[in-house]
Amino acid sequence: MVLITGGAFQGKLEYTLNLTGILKEDIMDGENCTMEDLLNRPLVNHFHLWIDRMFRGDRDIYELMDLIQTENPDLIIIVDELGCGIVPMDPYDREYREVTGRVCCEIAKIAKEVHRVTCGIGMVIKHD
Amino acid sequence: MVTVVIGGSSSGKSEYAENLAVQLGQDNLIYIATMEPFGEESKLRIKKHQAMRSSKNFKTIECFTGLDKLLLSAGNTVLLECMSNLAANEMFSSSGAKDNVFAAIQKGIMNLSKQANHLIIVTNNVFEDGCNYSNETLEYIKLLGHINQWMASIADQVIEVIHGIPVVIK
Repeated sequence: MVLITGGAFQGKLEYTLNLTGILKEDIMDGENCTMEDLLNRPLVNHFHLWIDRMFRGDRDIYELMDLIQTENPDLIIIVDELGCGIVPMDPYDREYREVTGRVCCEIAKIAKEVHRVTCGIGMVIKHD
Repeated sequence: MVTVVIGGSSSGKSEYAENLAVQLGQDNLIYIATMEPFGEESKLRIKKHQAMRSSKNFKTIECFTGLDKLLLSAGNTVLLECMSNLAANEMFSSSGAKDNVFAAIQKGIMNLSKQANHLIIVTNNVFEDGCNYSNETLEYIKLLGHINQWMASIADQVIEVIHGIPVVIK
């Protein structure tokens, strides 16, 4: 896996497309992609929205991540780096933010590359 | 030696800082816990952190305010977890320094760094989300920003943790 992280609106998608040459029609979106998409297609954007959907649906995110890692080991994941703000007032938001952080730590552990994008500029922070 | 470890919430910064302390200090480890156990959620959080470090042989000292008065035995590696709680306590709690937080924190950190072989301070990146906060919260964000800048200026190294990956920024 490759993990591309950074704040919202930092040019992560464009950076990734330039880096990989993946075509726009091959991008899936965490907001609405299916598990079948995740097991087959090369690039998922807004992965935090997928985590949000799975968490709301009470799914075992780590089990699903294992399956994705086995079936689609070259998947490129773009995620918003949540957690760099004041603790949210809403209890669900607090928990969702924490779960997303923990899941990203796990993805970063198994990813062969992690890039952090700020102002459209990527920095490779892990490269196996 | 002073090390500042900064990261967002659930970025893996605590685990990284604990492991760094273990590497540096081996058997002489002190953990300064700053979170006041208000309500179920913070009690659970405290338990989670206790479990995470249970095998690492830290001696835990609770300090919610008044870090400048803390006396430690010599020769320890000290992990302060974390500045974002300590600053909030000094600002909002009844025993806090109130209008004098920045000076109180400076005194507290200097007090620790004199006594410790290694001092590791964990702090939080709370600066990159939203702007629709109350004046009180904005004051807190501003204060923590100043404290972080000052700590980084006296630190020997500053490490940012992103999803568990350490990036040396000083």
